Amino acid sequence: MRLACAALVGALGLVALPASAADGDDAQQWLERMSDALASRNYTGVFTHSTRYQSETMRIVHRVGKGVTTERLVSLDGSGREIVRTAEEVHVYLPDRRVVLVEPRTDRGVLLETLPEPGPELDALYTLQVSGGQKLLGRDVRIVDVRPRDAFRYGYRLWLDEDSAMPLRTVVVDGAGHPVEVINFTLLELPHHIGARETEPALDSTGYQWVRSAPRPPQRTVSAVVWRPMKLPPGFKLVANRTQVVPGVAFPVQHLIFSDGFASISVFIEPMRPEGSAPPESSSVGSANAYSTQVHGRMVTAVGEVPLATVREVATSVAPTTVTTLVPMMPPAAGPAEPADVAAASQR
Amino acid sequence: MTDRIREQISALIDGELPEGEVGLLLRRLERDRQMRGAFGRYVLAGEALRAPGGLLASSGFAARVSAAIDAGGGDAIPSQDTTSPRGARWNRPLLATAVAASAALMAVLLVVRGSHQAEMVAQSTLERARDGFASLPLSQAASPTPAHSQRLAGYLVAHSQFASTIGRRTVWSSVLASDPGIARAAYESLEAP
Repeated sequence: MRLACAALVGALGLVALPASAADGDDAQQWLERMSDALASRNYTGVFTHSTRYQSETMRIVHRVGKGVTTERLVSLDGSGREIVRTAEEVHVYLPDRRVVLVEPRTDRGVLLETLPEPGPELDALYTLQVSGGQKLLGRDVRIVDVRPRDAFRYGYRLWLDEDSAMPLRTVVVDGAGHPVEVINFTLLELPHHIGARETEPALDSTGYQWVRSAPRPPQRTVSAVVWRPMKLPPGFKLVANRTQVVPGVAFPVQHLIFSDGFASISVFIEPMRPEGSAPPESSSVGSANAYSTQVHGRMVTAVGEVPLATVREVATSVAPTTVTTLVPMMPPAAGPAEPADVAAASQR
Repeated sequence: MTDRIREQISALIDGELPEGEVGLLLRRLERDRQMRGAFGRYVLAGEALRAPGGLLASSGFAARVSAAIDAGGGDAIPSQDTTSPRGARWNRPLLATAVAASAALMAVLLVVRGSHQAEMVAQSTLERARDGFASLPLSQAASPTPAHSQRLAGYLVAHSQFASTIGRRTVWSSVLASDPGIARAAYESLEAP
C-alpha cells in the first residue's frame, strides 16, 4: 500500500504526506462545496478533455432556472457533436451519423447527486486529502485528492477554485497513479443569468434518425429468479434497478446500477441478440470502460468509470439467482494496492 | 473566414479576447463548421508546439498536425501568454491541460513555423504524452460495427444518468470526443464462461 500510494503521489507531483482525519473532513467539505456549486450555479466555459489517445475541446453551458438544470455540451473540434440535457431528456446529437440518441432524464431527486457521507464505510474505500498553495487560471485553488484503497476503482485529483469551489481541473488516475483522463478548463465564467436559448442545440437535426430510449413498466414477477452479478467490488451497492429500452439496443434490457458513492457501474442484461453469440468484447472511452459477454444465454454488458478489469469481473459473474448474498471480489493479482479492509459487499 | 475572425480565434486561445467578444465568437464557432475546423487547426498547432511534458495526443496526431498546418498555412500560429487574467473571466491558453499541465504552463512556447518541424515536435509530444497516460490492455484491435458503437453510446448515456456529477461530465465528454467502440475497442478471444 505504501508503494502504491507513493507511486500515486509521485505521479501527481505531490509530496507524500500522511492523511489525517482533519484532512479527510476538510476534503469532504470541499467536495460537498464542489457538488453544490456544480448543481446550483450557472456557468459557461471551455475545457479540454484529454485521454491517452485523444484530446478534444468542448464548450459547456450549464443553466439553473426555477430549480431545473439544463445543460449543453458541444465539441468545438470539428465533429460538432452535442449533448443537450433538457428538463426531461438527454439528447445526444451525432451529426457524423445523423443520429440523435434520446434518453429520459432520470437524475432528478435521485442518487449520486450528493456525495457519500463521511464515515468508516467511505474511509474503507478511499482516502481524502486536501492541499493548497497553488494557482490555476490565476485563481487560488485547493487540490483535493480522492485515492482509492484498492485497484477496483479510480482515483481523482480535483483543483477547486477557492472562491466558488468549481473544479478547474479534474484528473482521473488509475491505481498506479497514471492519468486516465483529464478535464481542464481554460475559460470559465459564472454569470448570474444565462438565457434559455444558450442551452438549445446549434445544429439543424432535420432528417436525423431519433433513437429514443423508453422506460418499460415493471414486469410482473413470475419467478423468484433474478439476474445479478455474483461478484462486486467492496463498497458497491445496488442503487437502482429498471427495465428500459436503451438507444441502439433492439430489446428492452434490465439495467442495474451499483455505486460506491464516487464511482458507478451499470450492468445491462439483454436477451441474446438475433445475430447469435458473439465473443466477449471490451471498450474504453475515456475513463469509462465497458465489457460485454455472453453468460447463461444472456448478453451482459458492464459499464462504469472503473478499470476494465472491474467491469469484466462484474459482467462475467452475472448469473440467475434467488440468493442475494454476494461474493466480494478479490483484487487483481498484479494490483498495486492491497485489498480494501471491508466486509463482503451486499445489496440493499 | 476573415482576418478579423482569425485574430479573434487566436486571441481566444491566448486568453486575450475581450470579454464582450467571447460569447459571440463561441456561438459562431458552434454554428460554423469552417470556423471549428480553423479552431481545431490552431489548437493542433498549439499542441504540436507545446513544450516537453505537454499532455495532449490524438490518434494520427502527427499526420493531423501536418495536414492541419498545410491546410491552414495562412493562419497565424497562436502564441502563448500566461499573464494574469482579466476580470471575472478566468482563461489561459488552451491545451495547457492534463497531468503535466503545470509543466506546460511554465514552458516557453516555441513558435516554429513549418510543417516538418511541427510534425517532429508533435511526434515527440505524442510519444511523451502516451508515456504519461495509463495504458489500456488492448489486444487485437479491430473495427467494430456501427451498431456496436451506437449500442455502446446508448449504454454510456443510460449509465451517465446515474453517475456522479464528475462522472457524468467525463462520460459525456468521452461520448462527444470519440466514436465509442470504434477507436479503441479490443476484441478478446476468450472463452465464454
